[in-house]
Amino acid sequence: MTYTAPTRPRRLRRLFTPWALVAPAALWLLVFNVWPSINTIVLAFTNAKPLGGGHFTGLDNFARVLSDGQLADALLNSIVFMLVCLPLLTVLPLLLAILVEKKIPGIAFFRTAFYTPVVASAVVVALIWSWVLSDRGLVNGFAQWLGIIAEPVPFLTERWLLVFSAISLTVWKGLGYYMIIYLSALGNVRRELHEAAAVDGAGPVRRFWNVTVPGVRNTMLLVSVMVAVSALRVFSELFVLSNGTGGPGGRAQSVVMLIQMYSRGFYGHFGYASALSIVLLVITIGPMLLLLRLNRKAA
Amino acid sequence: MRRYWTGLAVAAVMVVSGCGLDGAGPQGEAAPAAAATGEVKGKVTLQTWALKPKFTQYMEGVISAFEKKHPGTDVTWLDQPADAYSDKVLSQAAGGTLPDVTNLPPDFARPLVKQGMLLDVSTVDSKLADEYVAGGLDAYRFSGHQGTYGYPWYLNTDVNYWNSELMTEYGLDPKQPPASFDELVEQARTMKEKSGGKVLLMSRRPEVGDLREAGVKLLSDDGKKFVFNTPEAAALIDKYRAAFKEGLMPRDVLTDTYAGNAKLFNEGAVAWTTGGGNHITSVANENPSLAPKIVASPDFGIPPLYVQGLSISKKTANLPTAVALARWVTSPENQAAFAHLVSIFPSTKSSANDPFFSKSDGTNAGDAKVIAFNSLAKAEVLQPYEVTDAMSKFIRQQISAALNGQISSKEALDAAVAKCNELLNQ
Repeated sequence: MTYTAPTRPRRLRRLFTPWALVAPAALWLLVFNVWPSINTIVLAFTNAKPLGGGHFTGLDNFARVLSDGQLADALLNSIVFMLVCLPLLTVLPLLLAILVEKKIPGIAFFRTAFYTPVVASAVVVALIWSWVLSDRGLVNGFAQWLGIIAEPVPFLTERWLLVFSAISLTVWKGLGYYMIIYLSALGNVRRELHEAAAVDGAGPVRRFWNVTVPGVRNTMLLVSVMVAVSALRVFSELFVLSNGTGGPGGRAQSVVMLIQMYSRGFYGHFGYASALSIVLLVITIGPMLLLLRLNRKAA
Repeated sequence: MRRYWTGLAVAAVMVVSGCGLDGAGPQGEAAPAAAATGEVKGKVTLQTWALKPKFTQYMEGVISAFEKKHPGTDVTWLDQPADAYSDKVLSQAAGGTLPDVTNLPPDFARPLVKQGMLLDVSTVDSKLADEYVAGGLDAYRFSGHQGTYGYPWYLNTDVNYWNSELMTEYGLDPKQPPASFDELVEQARTMKEKSGGKVLLMSRRPEVGDLREAGVKLLSDDGKKFVFNTPEAAALIDKYRAAFKEGLMPRDVLTDTYAGNAKLFNEGAVAWTTGGGNHITSVANENPSLAPKIVASPDFGIPPLYVQGLSISKKTANLPTAVALARWVTSPENQAAFAHLVSIFPSTKSSANDPFFSKSDGTNAGDAKVIAFNSLAKAEVLQPYEVTDAMSKFIRQQISAALNGQISSKEALDAAVAKCNELLNQ
């Protein structure tokens, strides 16, 4: 058998085909991710406005960030949001997935029911929740009718009640999404391992800790990183529940709400909003690094 | 390890790109005033704000009459939806694609004027002051910029609206509605007591315009700093704060937007709202049984002046036609015809004597129209154009915090003034 060198057009095809295949995605990333990111970093050092551009202002925006009381509140809200959502949305969907994984009649209904909130738009769901939780809403009306409370509970007008209402909404809406991710991961955990553990006398809890959790550990890490990033970037839930106001004094705002507040309109402060974006980026990298390190240690 | 850092880099890009922003906009080029005297013909674009489908027939009639009057002209009419109009105008301005003639309220026009994108219409039209009311023209004159940057189109103001049925039911006389804020609080107390808190009179949080309405000076004369943290302003917020604490307003006012007030009124949950001269007509669509029960009375203090106008892009390629079109749409005849369709008020001087605006037809909507028309004489643009979206949101947040008792009224106003000045000077 003799080796025949590929012809020139074939060599070229071989060389360019992979690039041609990744080109659309790469172009998309460059235009909509990489370029805006670089632009954001540049703008953070300017006083740019939507019209007329801006001037280089050095570290002025970052100096303002340090003295911005609203940012301190927003950071605390975002961090609390992440700290509460992270365990709930990492563990509860796994338990749900284990439940609905069982092949029993009618289980498809529950799978669909748990997944339904994921399909609904975040804004629509948040609007429905705001009607349910407002002073004149379903929950307060029902509780007052039952005589449990005399005055409405200020779910949407008190800072921490508002933040925790938004957390409840996020958890309720996210359960189905992460459940689906876990369901696919559970399919990869070999049944023989469960059977062997059962033969060795391990009960359901022991099997969960010693077989299921190690089997889906990488997925748990992926889910926890996704939850942490999206919790720190929370916007729609808090925005809609507070009617865009961020609650009295704006104390229930998230960092993204603050960015939106400064970047809107004809006089948007793009420079300052960009500096806030950089701060959010740095804050987001922290928990991701921690989670990745924990995973490496556990591995 | 490499994969680890690659993952981090991708995630970093994900986070930042979600907040990606873009910068500069174009500078307009001066259109020579002499160019306005050329022949009126050719293509021109007119952009309006949310007039379709309700006023399609009217606008098409106005445009077709213009094309007939000036043979050889071809007007392209663009009507933008109500939502996100400012974003649309902003993208057109940044992209250098502003239509020749655009409906811009003064607060939209000012940033474009700052960038030299709009034509000073006083350079091409010497009869402005003879034909248009001073208040309308003043709205298109901006501190730091010589000239008038739009033809005032139509005006409106706010009127108080009362639900007479609820007032009568809970011990109030709808023929004697409150004429001042103190009377409002007094009657709100009566309504709350008589209804057991089921129905309230008040349901709105004060805005920065309410401070001006009460006579508080908002901005220094040179327009360089906000000065509304006065004892008078704090006293007004204190009154609202006391009313809120007493339960005279629903707790939702802390987070409701201004529209929340009208929504509650239209639902029959509260008995007072403010609205333009045509509010009863809007209610008739939403809640027909409520509309006949509404009575109107003049706004407390200084009524707000709302102005819409037509501005001309400095970059227009057809200045004579653009000017002629803007004048045509804002002419007394066309404005009067528009005002017969909806309760707005013409910005032309010759319309002032039209009995259609000064005499009621005996209906409650007609009464409201006359009250609004009479209020226009002392109406003012209450919120300075210097107040940006971020500023007004911050002010609302601080006032809410004061109503909720988190901070004192003085602290709220001091914080609001400090933030507004910080943003103003950037």
